[in-house]
Amino acid sequence: MKKLLILVVIALLGTTVNAQFTKATLQATGLTCAMCNNAINKALQKVGFVESVKSDIKNSAFNIVFRSGVAVNIDALKDAVEDAGFSVGSLKLTGTFTDMKIAADQHIKVGDVSFHFLEATEQTLNGEQTITVVDKNFLSAKQFKKISAATKMACVQTGKAGDCCSKEGIDPGTRVYHVTI
Amino acid sequence: MNKQVFILLVSFFSLQSYSSTAQPKQGQLAADIALPSVGGDTLRLSSLKGKVVLLDFWASWCGPCRVSNKSLVKLYSNYKKSGFEILGVSLDDDKGKWENAIKKDNITWLQVNDGGGWEAQTAIKWQIDAIPTSFLIDKEGRLLAMNLEGKELEKALKYLLDK
Repeated sequence: MKKLLILVVIALLGTTVNAQFTKATLQATGLTCAMCNNAINKALQKVGFVESVKSDIKNSAFNIVFRSGVAVNIDALKDAVEDAGFSVGSLKLTGTFTDMKIAADQHIKVGDVSFHFLEATEQTLNGEQTITVVDKNFLSAKQFKKISAATKMACVQTGKAGDCCSKEGIDPGTRVYHVTI
Repeated sequence: MNKQVFILLVSFFSLQSYSSTAQPKQGQLAADIALPSVGGDTLRLSSLKGKVVLLDFWASWCGPCRVSNKSLVKLYSNYKKSGFEILGVSLDDDKGKWENAIKKDNITWLQVNDGGGWEAQTAIKWQIDAIPTSFLIDKEGRLLAMNLEGKELEKALKYLLDK
């Protein structure tokens, strides 16, 4: 029993994120002026892991602060914006990274999701870093088309690992976020 | 004709009441607003009784508001003498930008400022979730319509001025 418990603890530790996001800057787009409407603000504030949202009029952006120690679900931010009737035009996430080795066109498992860095130089991320999400529906269709050309892997279109990385032990159903730094 | 306008006003309000039940109701007396004007003097909505008032929530950073200002400039110059007044409530944090926008858009109607964006007290009290948002108020200070624009606004305005 004790052994089992230790195994469970190890397994849990193994999946602990080595990237803890603390804040984000989000730009929304739509047919009407996104800043002139309180809907996005309200929708984001309802997201469980969101601590606060402030409109940055100058940059037409929303500055979001996350609750500390709570897992951030990136898709939930997009869903909130879409539920408010807008689309995400840009999403930059800032967090604290620990020994996260990245390279262009490679997957890195963080907790139960994976990050796929497009157009990144090989480096180890430490301390506070900001990444940009470049998945479909996280930027304009035009920008997505341009940036998604950086990889030949199918996951850039589906957002799921599929059979791309079973060798690296990444489950086919794993959510893969495509990002740049 | 008058009946038509009335039906129009009613239909506009019932549309609004679906989207947001907490909005001020049609026929209700408008809650008073007391805010500083550009010079710093306090201006009260209640001091405008006897005039037909368009209460207009806006901000300098709101593109659609600035577009709307253009048509309001025309409407104001046409009906000011007949007893029409506009009270613009700006939600700008930056008073300088508010004042610049007033100059740039050639606004000559009454302007007050309640900085704080969506968290401005007046915005919360009036349930403002988007700007521009406007309320048409009759001579007795009753709320009669919301977010009328262009020809519909002019039609309703004429009706209320003649009443």
